[in-house]
Amino acid sequence: MIQPWIAQLRTPFPGVTTENCLPTSPCDVRYNCIAWAAEDSERWWWPDANRQYYWPAGIPREETMEAFERAYGMLGYNERCDTSLEPGKCKVAIYADANRKPTHAARQLPSGWWASKLGTAIDIHHELSALEGPAYGKVVIVLARPIH
Amino acid sequence: MAAGVLFSVSAMGASDQSAQLDRQLGLELPAYYAIPASRRRDSRFERFQSLAQQWRAETQWLSSSTDSAMHPAYQAIIGLGEAALPLILEELRLRPEHWFWALKAISNEDPVVPRDRGSIQKMRQAWLRWGEAKGLVSIP
Repeated sequence: MIQPWIAQLRTPFPGVTTENCLPTSPCDVRYNCIAWAAEDSERWWWPDANRQYYWPAGIPREETMEAFERAYGMLGYNERCDTSLEPGKCKVAIYADANRKPTHAARQLPSGWWASKLGTAIDIHHELSALEGPAYGKVVIVLARPIH
Repeated sequence: MAAGVLFSVSAMGASDQSAQLDRQLGLELPAYYAIPASRRRDSRFERFQSLAQQWRAETQWLSSSTDSAMHPAYQAIIGLGEAALPLILEELRLRPEHWFWALKAISNEDPVVPRDRGSIQKMRQAWLRWGEAKGLVSIP
């Protein structure tokens, strides 16, 4: 029998299975994946033109890879890298749609899996490829910073 | 039958002002007044709840507040205009949700100070205080 959370995730994320994904929190509307990748669980990050949500000062409020890369760059994620687990480095992966518009971000865990917040819904730990598909597109950029 | 009676009365007794109001509102006034006010409110409430439920279900995976606000059900709620404000504020009073775009779009105001942008609880409190000051929601 398929667990209810898996059944719910399968439509937006067809690649999700019980082997590559684990729910880790209840739903929470207070923060999103962009914040969670930045280890902020108190704010919703988005560069909306309406200027209602948090976005780091000095970074263009644009839904572009460049703006997202610069936002994480302010947190020290300045090195483009691959998805492997590297000692001494913390990584974030940015997903984007076919037009390179950012859709999602995930933060690498010490295990090599990734931590994600799914919209207003749950947190999960997962393999990076599990969320690739119609909802979030593909991982386009992975950025690293030294672990302090 | 009732609507027909109302139409007759309205047609005979309508003032210039009421005829002007009729044209401005674009309403079928006899039919409008034939429906009890309580049922009209329920109908609006039910439509709002139905749209809100659809919006929640279909945008729950989205991080983009822009894409979430552009969802057709959310846009339809904005399209309800000022009549939606008490319904949205009551929903916001009951639970934190992303109603801020709709509130700003309808009211053309934004009571959230820049330092609180993105802080859902503080944004919620600012909008509820705004709504209470306008008499649109009661905060116990």
